[in-house]
Amino acid sequence: MADTRETLKLVKDLSRKEIVFALAHLPGSSRFVFGGSDSMVYDVDLASAKPEPRSLGSHDSYVTGLAIAQRRAISGSYDGRLIWWDLDYQERLFTVEAHARWIRDVAASSDGKTVASVADDMVCRVWDAETGEKRFELRGHEAVTPHHFPSMLYACAFSPDGRYLASGDKVGHVVIWDLTTGQAAGTLEVPTMYTWDPSQRRHSIGGIRSLAFSPDGNRLAIGGMGKVGNIDHLEGLARVEIFDWRKAERSHEYAGDTFKGLVERLVFLASGDRLLAVGGTNDGFLMLFDLSQKSAKLQEKIGFHVHDAVVGDASNSIFLAGHGKLAEYELKV
Amino acid sequence: MRTPLHALLGIVILATGARATPADELLPADRPIEAAVDHYVDAKLTKEGVHAAADADDATLVRRLTLDLQGRIPTDAEVRAFVLSTEADKRARLVDRLMASPGFVRHQVDTTDAMLMAGSRGSLNDYLSRAVRENRPWDQVFREVMQGNDSDPARKGSSDFLKARARDTDRLTSDVSSVFFGVNISCAKCHDHPKVRDWKQEHYYGMKSFLDRTFDSDNFVAERDFGAVKFKTTEGEERKARFMFLTGRVVDVPGIEEPSKEAKQEEKKRLEEARKKKEPPAPPKFSARGKLVEIALEPTERAFFAKAIVNRLWNRVFGVGLVMPLDQMHSENPPSHPELLQWLARDTIDHQYDLHRLIRGLVLSRAYARTSRWESAERPDPRLFATASVRPLTPFQLAASMWVASTDPASLPEVAKRDELDRKLEEFAGRGRSLASTIARPGEDYQIGASEALLMSNSDRLKDMLADGGDRLVARMAKMSDRREKIELAVRNVLSRAPDEEEISLFGEYLARYEDRPAEGCRQLVWALLTSAEFRFNY
Amino acid sequence: MSETRRERFCGSPEHALDRRRFLGTLAAGAAAFAADMTVLEVLKQPVIAQELKSQQKRVILLWLAGGSSQLETWDPKPGASTGGPFRAIPTSVPGIHISELMPKMAQRMEHTTIIRSLNTKNGDHGGGARLMMRGRMDDPSLRYPDLGAVLARELGQAHSAVPDYVSFYSATEGRDFAPDTAGFLGSRYAPMELTKTLMPENIRRPEGLSELDHAQRAELRELMSKRFARGRVSTDLGAHNEAYQRVRGLMASEKLFDLAQEPQKIRDEYGPTQFGEQALIARRLAEAGVPFVRVGRAWWDSHGQNFETHQEMVPELDHVMATLLDDLKRRGMLDSTLVITLAEFGRTPSINPSLGRDHFASAWSATLSGCGIKGGSVYGKTDALGQSVVDGEVGAAELFATIYKALGINPQKNYRVGSRPVPLTEPGTEPIETVLA
Repeated sequence: MADTRETLKLVKDLSRKEIVFALAHLPGSSRFVFGGSDSMVYDVDLASAKPEPRSLGSHDSYVTGLAIAQRRAISGSYDGRLIWWDLDYQERLFTVEAHARWIRDVAASSDGKTVASVADDMVCRVWDAETGEKRFELRGHEAVTPHHFPSMLYACAFSPDGRYLASGDKVGHVVIWDLTTGQAAGTLEVPTMYTWDPSQRRHSIGGIRSLAFSPDGNRLAIGGMGKVGNIDHLEGLARVEIFDWRKAERSHEYAGDTFKGLVERLVFLASGDRLLAVGGTNDGFLMLFDLSQKSAKLQEKIGFHVHDAVVGDASNSIFLAGHGKLAEYELKV
Repeated sequence: MRTPLHALLGIVILATGARATPADELLPADRPIEAAVDHYVDAKLTKEGVHAAADADDATLVRRLTLDLQGRIPTDAEVRAFVLSTEADKRARLVDRLMASPGFVRHQVDTTDAMLMAGSRGSLNDYLSRAVRENRPWDQVFREVMQGNDSDPARKGSSDFLKARARDTDRLTSDVSSVFFGVNISCAKCHDHPKVRDWKQEHYYGMKSFLDRTFDSDNFVAERDFGAVKFKTTEGEERKARFMFLTGRVVDVPGIEEPSKEAKQEEKKRLEEARKKKEPPAPPKFSARGKLVEIALEPTERAFFAKAIVNRLWNRVFGVGLVMPLDQMHSENPPSHPELLQWLARDTIDHQYDLHRLIRGLVLSRAYARTSRWESAERPDPRLFATASVRPLTPFQLAASMWVASTDPASLPEVAKRDELDRKLEEFAGRGRSLASTIARPGEDYQIGASEALLMSNSDRLKDMLADGGDRLVARMAKMSDRREKIELAVRNVLSRAPDEEEISLFGEYLARYEDRPAEGCRQLVWALLTSAEFRFNY
Repeated sequence: MSETRRERFCGSPEHALDRRRFLGTLAAGAAAFAADMTVLEVLKQPVIAQELKSQQKRVILLWLAGGSSQLETWDPKPGASTGGPFRAIPTSVPGIHISELMPKMAQRMEHTTIIRSLNTKNGDHGGGARLMMRGRMDDPSLRYPDLGAVLARELGQAHSAVPDYVSFYSATEGRDFAPDTAGFLGSRYAPMELTKTLMPENIRRPEGLSELDHAQRAELRELMSKRFARGRVSTDLGAHNEAYQRVRGLMASEKLFDLAQEPQKIRDEYGPTQFGEQALIARRLAEAGVPFVRVGRAWWDSHGQNFETHQEMVPELDHVMATLLDDLKRRGMLDSTLVITLAEFGRTPSINPSLGRDHFASAWSATLSGCGIKGGSVYGKTDALGQSVVDGEVGAAELFATIYKALGINPQKNYRVGSRPVPLTEPGTEPIETVLA
C-alpha cells in the first residue's frame, strides 16, 4: 500500500457539563446515544445545526456502557443495571438487574441479536438483545488481584461474526469466549498494562480498558497503558497490543512515544489495516495505526480526555465523547 | 486569628541594653584571637568569682583537637607522639598539622554542609569541597551560594542551597535569615515579634521581598524581574512590603509594580527557552536576591553576618554559642560575652572572613583546652566556659572514629609517613559514611536515641569492624598472650589514653571468662569500649 | 535515672567500685534478662492483664497518607455533581450515612464519631502532614513533638519494657514529608519506626552471640559509661545512657511484633494485606501497653483515577478498621483504646479530567472511635457539594484538644522548654465536647 497522509479536522463539538463515558451510533442515521457522570442517557442528532440532546431517562449512577442492537439502545451503569431503550419511541423498554457491581462496558454483536456486559463482579454476561434474557454467565477472571485487592473487569468486544466475545480485566488477563458453547476458546496475558507499586505507593493502576477484533476476526487489539512510575497520575504511555489470538501470538506492539494515558476505546476501520485508538489523561489523544506498516499514521492531541469513539457510516467521520465534550472529526486522506 | 502563643507565655524579658561597645574600648585589633578569647573569658570568670577547671591532659587535648579538626579520633601513635613531645609549641604545631591535612577539608565540608542544609534534602558537598580546600572567604561562599550559578566550574553545585528551598520562599526567607544572620524572624510572619522588639512584621516581609522572586523552574533556580510581597497586618490592613534588611535599612528595587503583559510574556519566553534547552534560565536584569547579599555585606549592615558565623563556629568548638539559641541574635537575648563577640566579628571582617584563621584561634585558646570534669560541688554555668563541654560526636565523626579505633595500629603506616597515613585514615572516614547515614541524618541538632543503641547492640554493621582477621584490632588482640597487654592496646586504641589499674583488673576478669574463646572476649571488650559514653563524646 | 543501681568504679573510698556487686551482676546476667521478659509474661495472667487493659489508655492512629477522599469514605455526597459514582448507605446509627465502600464500618457506627468539618487550610503534603501529626504549625524556634511523642510521654511508663511510640510506614512515598518526631521532648520519646519489615530493625540479638555474652558486655559498657559520666554533665550524655538502658526492654518486646504468635483465626480476620497485618501488630502492641501506634497506610494521593483507587483501598480500610474495633471490643480494650483515622488533608469535590481528585484541606473528615468518645455521632457539616464547612468548623488544634481530652489529658497542660511554658494546645483551643463521652 502506498504511503498516504491522513489529517484530522474538527467538524463540530458540543460542550457538556458531565463527563461522557459512553457513546453509540444508530447506523444509517445521524443519531447518537450517550451517557455519563450525570447518570442520564441522551439521544442526539449530531447532523442538526444546533444539536440538542434529549434525555431518554436515567440510571442511578454513572452511565459507562452503551450499545445499539437493531433500533434499541442498551445502557449499562455503575448501578449494576442494563436498561433497554426504544429509539423510535424514545422510551425505556425494560431494566435488567445485570450485575452486583459496577458495569464497565456494554457491547452488541453486529447482527444485533446479542448483547454483552462486563462488570466488577468479574462476570461477563451475555443477553438476548430482544428479550433481555440471560444466555451465558461467563466466569474466567479472578475477583482479587495477586495483591489481595478487588480486581475489575473493564472491557468486552464481539468478533465481527458474533461468534466470539473477548473480555479483559485489570491485571491484564483476556478471555476469548466461544458463544456457541459458552466455553473459553483462548486466553491472552498483557501484564504490562497493570502496574502494582509495591514500594512507593502500595496500590495499583491500569488495566485493559479497550478491546477490538479485526474485521476478519483473526486479530484482537488490546488497549491500556504501559507501566507507570507515579501511579497517582495517568503517566504511563498509551499502549496497544495486537494478537493473533488463536495462536496467542502478539503481532503488533505500540508502546507509545507521544501520549501518556489510557487507551479507552479501540475501533478497526472497515479496511482492517487501520486501527483507531482514543483515550487520555488530563487531556486526550487520538491515534491511527497502520497495521501493515506497524506504525502510527496519526497522533493527534484532543483537548479533552476521550472516553469513547464511534466511526460513522462514512468511515472518515469520527465521533468522540469524553470529559465535558462531544466532538465530530473528519479524517482526510 | 487566635492570640499568638508567644504573647501569652508571660515571660518578662528585661531589655539588657546590650549596646555595641565603641571600637576603641575593645581590646586592640592586633592581638591574636586566642589571647582575646582568654582575655574576655577570664575577665568574666573573675567577675563571677569562678575558678576555671584545670587544663585537660595531653591525651584528652589531642583527641579533642583531632575530632574537631579532622572529624575522627587520633591513632594511638598520634596520641603518643603528642604526649611525648617536649616542644614548647607542640599544640600550635599539632593544630597546624591537623589543619593542613585532607581530613580537615572533609570535616569542614561535612559540618558546613550540615549547617547550611539542615532539615533539607540535598547536599552542598560538591561545591563546599572546592570552597573549603581553597579557604574561600565566608562572604564569598555566601555570595556564591546565594547566587547559585552552577555553570562556573569553580562554583559547580553551589545552587543546591537555593534549589532545596526555591519552592517555598517562606522557608527560604527563614533559612537565609537564620543560617547567615543568626536571626529567626519567622515569628514575625504573623505578627510583630512579641518578645523581641527588634522584629516587626515589616522585617519578615522585608526580607521575604528580596527572596520572593526566586522560584523553581524545572529544577533550576530562577528569579523574576518583578514582584512585591503583600501582607496583612494584625489589624487586617493589607500592605505592600518594603525591601527591608534586618537592620531596618530600606532599598528601592525596580519591578514592584504589576508587570506589563509584554514583560510577563517575555519572561515566559525566557523560561520556555531555558526549559527546552534544559539549561538554567537567564538571570533577571535586576536580581533582588543579589541586592540582599550586597546590602548584608555593606560596612554598616554586616554585623549580623559576621557575628552569626562567629557564633556558629564558637558553638561548634565550645559546645555552647556565645548567643544561644544560635538563631536568636537580638537585643533581648544578649551574648554571654558581648565584647568578645564584637571583637571576634571585627577581627573576622578585618581578615576577609577567613574562617580557618578563626577556627585556629579558637582552638588555641586556654579556654578551649580545659578539662570537662568538674569535681567540686556546684558546676558553673556552661556559658562561663570554666570547663570544656561534653559534645556528642556527629554521625560522621563517630563512624570514622569507630573504624580508626577498631583497626590494628600495627597495620597503619607510621606517623613519619604522614601522607600515607592520612590517605589510610581518609579511607576509614569514607568507609564510615554508610554507617553514619544509618545513625542519623547529619544536622546540627540530632539526638542520640534508642534506635542507635539497638543498632550498635544488634546490627551486623559492626561485624566487619570487630572481625578477628586482617587488619582488625580484635585479630591483633587475639594473637597476644599477655592479658594486660591486650587491655593496654584496646584502651589506648579506642579511648585514646592508657588504662588505669582498676580497668586493667576489671577487664582482666572479664577476659578471663572467655579463656576458651579468647577472640570472642576481645571482641566483646572492644564493643563495650566503642559503645561507651567516653567514646561517644568529645569531652 | 536508676540511682539504686549505681555502681562505683574508682580508687577513692567514696567512689569505690562495688566490684563484688558488678561481678555478681555479670553472673546473674542471664537471669536479669529473663526477668525483663516477665513484664510480658504478666500479660498471661488474666487478672493483671485486665487491670492493665482497663487502666492504661492508648491510641492506634490509622494514618491515611497522601490524603484519602472524604467523599468516598465518611462524607458521601451521592447525586451531587461532585459526588462521584459511589452511593451512600445507611449505618447502624439511624440518620448517619457513609460511603457504600464501607459496609463493615456502617454496621459498627455506634463506636465511632465522624468529624466532617475539618478546615485545616494547608493543602501541601509536607505542611499538611506536619500540621496533622503535631496539631499545630511549625514554629521555627521550637520543634514541636507529634501526637505519638506527646502520648508516649503522657501515657507511657517511665521505665517501660515495651516501646512507647511505634510507627509503621512501609510505602516510601510521603514518608519523609512528615517524619515522626519527638521534637523538644527529646529522643526518649522518639518513635520506633518500622519501614521495611514488620519486625523492628536490630531488635534481635545478633546470631552467634549468646544471651549471656550480650548481657554481660552491656553491663561492662554501662559501667564504663557511668564512670565517664562522673564529674561531667550533658543532656546528651543522659540520653545516651538512657538509650542503652532501654535496649534490653525493647528486645524483650520482639514477640509483640511476631504475627506467628497470633492464632491463625485472628490473622485470617485481619486479612492478608500489609495494612491488615500491621493493624494486628498494633493491637498486640496496644494490648501489651504500648501507648501509641501509628499505622501509616500510603498512598492515597489519587490525582488520577480517584474512584479506581478508592475502590481498591477503601474496602481494605473498611475491613481492617472494622476488624480492629471488633477485636479491641472482644478483648475489653475498646473503652481504653482510641482509634483515629486521619490524613494530611482530604480531596477536592471537583473531579479532574483524569477522573482524579486533588488536594483539599477546606472541608474534610476524620474519625475517632473507642476511648472517651461518644460513638454513633457526626460532628460538623459540609455544604451540598462538599466545597466548604457550613457547621462546626474545626482545625487541627481543636481535633488534638479533643483527642487529649478523650484520653483524660488536659489539653492546656504545660510543658516547659527552658523557662518557656508550652501548652499542649494553644490557649483558647476548645475540644469538641459534644463528641466526648
